[in-house]
Amino acid sequence: MTLLKEPDRGTPAQPGPAVVDVEVDGIPVTVPAGTSVMRAAALSGVDIPKLCATDSLEPFGSCRLCLVEIDGRRGTPASCTTPVAAGMKVRTQTPKLEKLRQGVMELYISDHPLDCLTCSANGDCELQDMAGEVGLRQVRYGYDGENHLGLEKDTSNPYFDFEPSKCISCSRCVRACGEIQGTFALTIEGRGFESKVSAGGQPFMQSECVSCGACVQACPTATLQEKSVVQLGMPSRTVLTTCAYCGVGCSFKAELRGDELVRMVPYKDGGANEGHSCVKGRFAFGYATHPDRVLSPMVREKITDPWREVSWEEAISHTAARMREIQAKHGQASIGGITSSRCTNEEVYVVQKMVRAAFGNNNVDTCARVCHSPTGYGLKQTFGESAGTQDFRSVAQADVIVVIGANPTDGHPVFASRMKKRLRQGAKLIVVDPRRIDLVRSPHIEAAHHLQLRPGTNVAVVNAFAHVVVTEGLVDRSFVDSRCEGYDEWAEFIARPENSPEVVEEVTGVPAAEIRAAARLYATAGNAAIYYGLGVTEHSQGSTMVMGMANLAMATGNVGRDGVGVNPLRGQNNVQGSCDMGSFPHELPGYRHVSDDAVRAVFETVWGRTIRPEPGLRIPNMFDAAIAGTFRGLFVQGEDIAQSDPNTAHVTAALEALDLVVVQDLFLNETAKFAHVFLPGTSFLEKDGTFTNAERRINRVRPVMAPKTGKHEWQIVCELAQALGYPMDYSHPREIMAEIAALTPTFAGVSFERLDQLGSIQWPCDDNAPTGTPTMHVETFTRGKGRFVPTSFVPTSERATRKFPLILTTGRILSQYNVGAQTRRTANVAWHPEDVLEIHPHDAEVRGIRDGDEVSLASRVGRTSLRAVLSDRMPVGVVYTTFHHPVTGANVVTTENSDWATNCPEYKVTAVQVSLRTTQREPAVVD
Amino acid sequence: MPVPPTVRLANEIAAQFHHQSADRAAAAIAQHIRAFWEPRMREELLQHTTSTPEALDPLVVAAARLVS
Amino acid sequence: MTTVHVPRDSAARSAGADEVAAAFARHPDVRVVRNGSRGMLWLEPLVEVTTDHGRVGYGPVTPDRVPELLDAIRAGADHDLHLGPVDDLPWMRAQNRICLARVGVTDPLSTTDYENHGGIKGLRRALDIGPEATVAEVTESGLRGRGGAGFPAGIKWKTVADTPGELKFVCCNADEGDSGTFADRMLLEGDPFCLIEGMTIAAHAVGATEGYIYIRSEYPDAVTTFRRAVDIAYAHNWLGEDILGRGLRFDLHVRVGAGAYICGEETSMLESLEGKRGVVRAKPPIPAITGLFGRPTVVNNVLTLASVPRILADGGTAYHKLGVERSRGTQVFQLAGNVKHGGVFETDFGISLRDLVEHHGGGTRSGRPVRAVQVGGPLGAYIPESGLDLPMDYEKFAEAGAMLGHGGIVVFDDTVDMAAMARFAFEFCAEESCGKCTPCRVGAVRGVEVIDRITGGEDPDANMALLNDLCDLMTDGSLCAMGGLTPNPVRSALLHFADDFTPRRATS
Repeated sequence: MTLLKEPDRGTPAQPGPAVVDVEVDGIPVTVPAGTSVMRAAALSGVDIPKLCATDSLEPFGSCRLCLVEIDGRRGTPASCTTPVAAGMKVRTQTPKLEKLRQGVMELYISDHPLDCLTCSANGDCELQDMAGEVGLRQVRYGYDGENHLGLEKDTSNPYFDFEPSKCISCSRCVRACGEIQGTFALTIEGRGFESKVSAGGQPFMQSECVSCGACVQACPTATLQEKSVVQLGMPSRTVLTTCAYCGVGCSFKAELRGDELVRMVPYKDGGANEGHSCVKGRFAFGYATHPDRVLSPMVREKITDPWREVSWEEAISHTAARMREIQAKHGQASIGGITSSRCTNEEVYVVQKMVRAAFGNNNVDTCARVCHSPTGYGLKQTFGESAGTQDFRSVAQADVIVVIGANPTDGHPVFASRMKKRLRQGAKLIVVDPRRIDLVRSPHIEAAHHLQLRPGTNVAVVNAFAHVVVTEGLVDRSFVDSRCEGYDEWAEFIARPENSPEVVEEVTGVPAAEIRAAARLYATAGNAAIYYGLGVTEHSQGSTMVMGMANLAMATGNVGRDGVGVNPLRGQNNVQGSCDMGSFPHELPGYRHVSDDAVRAVFETVWGRTIRPEPGLRIPNMFDAAIAGTFRGLFVQGEDIAQSDPNTAHVTAALEALDLVVVQDLFLNETAKFAHVFLPGTSFLEKDGTFTNAERRINRVRPVMAPKTGKHEWQIVCELAQALGYPMDYSHPREIMAEIAALTPTFAGVSFERLDQLGSIQWPCDDNAPTGTPTMHVETFTRGKGRFVPTSFVPTSERATRKFPLILTTGRILSQYNVGAQTRRTANVAWHPEDVLEIHPHDAEVRGIRDGDEVSLASRVGRTSLRAVLSDRMPVGVVYTTFHHPVTGANVVTTENSDWATNCPEYKVTAVQVSLRTTQREPAVVD
Repeated sequence: MPVPPTVRLANEIAAQFHHQSADRAAAAIAQHIRAFWEPRMREELLQHTTSTPEALDPLVVAAARLVS
Repeated sequence: MTTVHVPRDSAARSAGADEVAAAFARHPDVRVVRNGSRGMLWLEPLVEVTTDHGRVGYGPVTPDRVPELLDAIRAGADHDLHLGPVDDLPWMRAQNRICLARVGVTDPLSTTDYENHGGIKGLRRALDIGPEATVAEVTESGLRGRGGAGFPAGIKWKTVADTPGELKFVCCNADEGDSGTFADRMLLEGDPFCLIEGMTIAAHAVGATEGYIYIRSEYPDAVTTFRRAVDIAYAHNWLGEDILGRGLRFDLHVRVGAGAYICGEETSMLESLEGKRGVVRAKPPIPAITGLFGRPTVVNNVLTLASVPRILADGGTAYHKLGVERSRGTQVFQLAGNVKHGGVFETDFGISLRDLVEHHGGGTRSGRPVRAVQVGGPLGAYIPESGLDLPMDYEKFAEAGAMLGHGGIVVFDDTVDMAAMARFAFEFCAEESCGKCTPCRVGAVRGVEVIDRITGGEDPDANMALLNDLCDLMTDGSLCAMGGLTPNPVRSALLHFADDFTPRRATS
């Protein structure tokens, strides 16, 4: 496709039906009430000149180019700020208007550098376009009057430049920063002619700016411009694709110049992001072409040997032969595979198919095991479907937003911006988190309640919430009676005194009155929505907590419509999809248990192989079995288990015990140190397929470039399966999706053609819902009746002791992503060069630790060292770190504890000791 | 002597069902193990019920009888 | 015991009233009352002594003359500063003081004085007749906004009253930044309860529970006095939960500006009150529907609200009997600039500009002929001497290409350079523009440059055409009245004083 220029209708669309008839330059058009004259004109095909207006922002009325005449009205109102009225007759081109517009442009150009031909925005500059459109032919003021041409350029941000001499003071950047992103880092400084855009009076890099790119996107001139455009020039073609970072799944226009990717621009029609982006998706794509990428297959006999580059044929036949060898010696169940939530649905599907059909066992698991497996379990048990209930848009209808164990402004920034917008409109916020996340108090937002609970006590808190609802008569009886089952037993359980806020206060540390007030707010304020993250799932009771939240939502009738629900914020781009694709050892695609004969029969018919009716090994089970010697070969697709899985000592012991480790990845990661075969993978820019985001939205991933490795990942897997003697062959990923659709009822209506046509589809998509399902459980729950499950609070065995008196919890930050394999290979390191340990000043004081000191962090399983940062975001007794850098080895200290139901690791609670290091930094050590 | 993984995992499951009657709890635990445990693990757990029953939550022992 | 009134008004203080008061206070048999100013600024400090014949004035008084003055007063002897009974002075007799009835007469912070001089009657009546009838009275009175735009107050109130909303506001705009205006300040300092009563009536009428007054930071005395008045009003049950025991709830907050002229524009003021940068909002939506924090809001000027208690006390019809045509009631005119008798002069609409400037103002202070008068602040038109017969009437002024504005009148004698005054208009706009819209932000700066070129003899015809185009653009294209009105003084200067624009400074 050539460069895609999206239409800009000047002001946002108004909700509601088109009911107001107006006439623009004689052309009739009917628009919703509240629509601006400018937008009505655009919809009628008449583009009114504009500079300060853009349809992603509320009208502002400052440039005065869009003036029109309206019959029967005095003067020349601005069309952007004037709403339509029935019967209005608008004229957009009259001699008077022409003169006024030329006059405005004359003023603009009298204070603008005349370097269009060498300007980086040449050809993509609205000021330039408007000068042409209004017919500007002269600037009678001359160019030697007072001006801003001498203002200095700010190049401090690694991704974009700010050149104030080109600024026309339209405030679009300032408004985008506030209205869209909600950071309010930018302002207009000074007044009158001295008005200028400022990042709070500092260079961008030192300011509050989070580099989301909204300002760059909004700028109509070259004032805020991607450095890549300055360096490479204007792009000439567009490929629509999907971001490969977090579970928000933003749609992007990849803009290329020839075959070179110039920039990623958020797509306005993207269902998940609607034109917004964050620093990762917008700018941090350079890892795809980083020199560290391995592009040829490599093998070695022993992990102490050097790698040997080989042909694809050799790599594949070698791998197949070794696998067959192991199976011959140790049995069919002695090998397995792990799928990646970073890969496409199609890539994941073929891996699990290879395991089930070619390996002949169910030993397939996914990295979602270590993040959201409890979501799958908990929501399936209660609602009947392993997925969130809403689309992202729904948050705009919420009256109360509960954020539990999630840090959206860092982890899911684009969704966080939507949430913040709603909060600024007046929705109430309840934050349940041991750490004072940014959302608790950010510009124009303040949480009504921040329940700063002790790590590991989520279930006690959610039970206390429910206790208040049940004992204070706040239950939505008609919802419960008509739509749910198991209520009475649950209510009896939850009403027990042990679940009261007063009793749990001692264990949670949350004042009973706070819980009562928050619970009342949740139950009575209209639409109440729960959003949660890994702070819910990564606990020994992760699954219980998910069910606890589902119980609460059902009891208050907060399921099945806009503005409510229970919504997991998925960590990775395709967590939802990799789970949907049958990556769990007990489930075939579409969450159907392997023991179900009918389901197996369907797959067996199409796959031509017998499928085992017993569940296979989960990732931690694989490690245990490896150490026990019954599991000998592992295929790892795009997950760095050695860095990201808990209790590194245990993981490395398991990996060392394996006879064959096959790693498919972009980089020689930590796991590759234990690998015998390395199969180079492809970045999202090379992939062709689909990702499914946290709102069940299936988005197309389209290739921006050919695979740098010469092969698509799905092809490699197919070839490996064939080498193993199982015929698996597709000519294009669309055929894989066709097979998925044929075998999976919830995907029945999904195809690449349909996706191209609709843009995206939220599953379930079938004959009943041919365009997908934004909100689930509307009339009935997927399982029929919603099921209340009693959730008894069982404290984790991981507790602060004399030896390890502090509790470590982990999280991530905005600029980095998971183990950092991608973001560490971009300029994002400018924001986060290392992981640090946040420690409360009180805990630091008693240990003689000052801000910036090197400290040692030790748990019962290992120790590491990192720099301390004093912070009162955590309560006394809790420390916090991120796990983006392998050198930190945060998982050296995390333990083998896991969720009882899914074995999702308990990353969020580790008893540790922190002490001042006097010697130099040492590598992480396993005790 | 470290606790074998199957013993630890089974005990953790059992802990979740203590609020129920022993019969219902055992059935629920058994159902969970049947649905999510690979046969080798189930086999190993059964061995523990005879070799080291004292290491196991009584509910696990009861559940194991239902699994087999 | 002799009772002496020495104004506490900041104009009087700037002329030494504090020192005079201190000099009186040194005498144990003298009781000093600090009143507001009567508004005869050429007489300040104007001291009034309570006698059997009423309050007798002396002025201007200096501290060193206090002993001899006291001797004369005690002896009943004549004195060269003796003015006679103040109420009988021609300046006072010629006025019809409604807004300013108590200003200069009472102790501004005495609730007793306030009630003894007719205060609180309006509020009591408003509470008696109810909100709807209160709005009707204001509509009936013909009261128009005194801030400059002259929008009918009753219609605005009705819009707010009719807009549903649990939370509504009444905001008083006391960001009196126009040159030659000081009536708001004199009221704030001289009779703050009157404004509090007016705002409370407005709140009652429209269903508002919260009020804000936005006072410019350049008025520290007004801020201090008004804050004290608010505290006293709360203590006196004139504000708060249960006003006058009648169940009315109204809370009033005082906010101080930060020195931006543009915050006298109502939407900028609302932005500033919200804690944001003071920039103009596009209208619609109008503040009456979407005002402070997005809620229905009455925004009125000080004098508008200060007129309300009397309107309610005496009825709208009585007020409507005053004035002419569509300009009803009284206006507080402020005489300033090169004028012999400067000060505030409240009278019915309809009086001629000449009457005000020449008769009451006494012509120029320099004694030279009047050349031009600027009415309505720095963005008002310049009216030449030949146009002084214009009656003070919103519509008549508009017809003459001028505006009444806030009633400020600035007089210039025949030495004024009108090209410099036109240039000043742009300079002022450039200095005070909020910077939001292009015609005002860039246009004002270019206006200065173009006038410099004209007066510098640089291609005068082409630049004159450009100046005219710029004036058209600013008038028709600006977002608010700031940019829209800046061409007023420029155009009027060009129209009436074209000769001043002929090139004459070769060096510029």
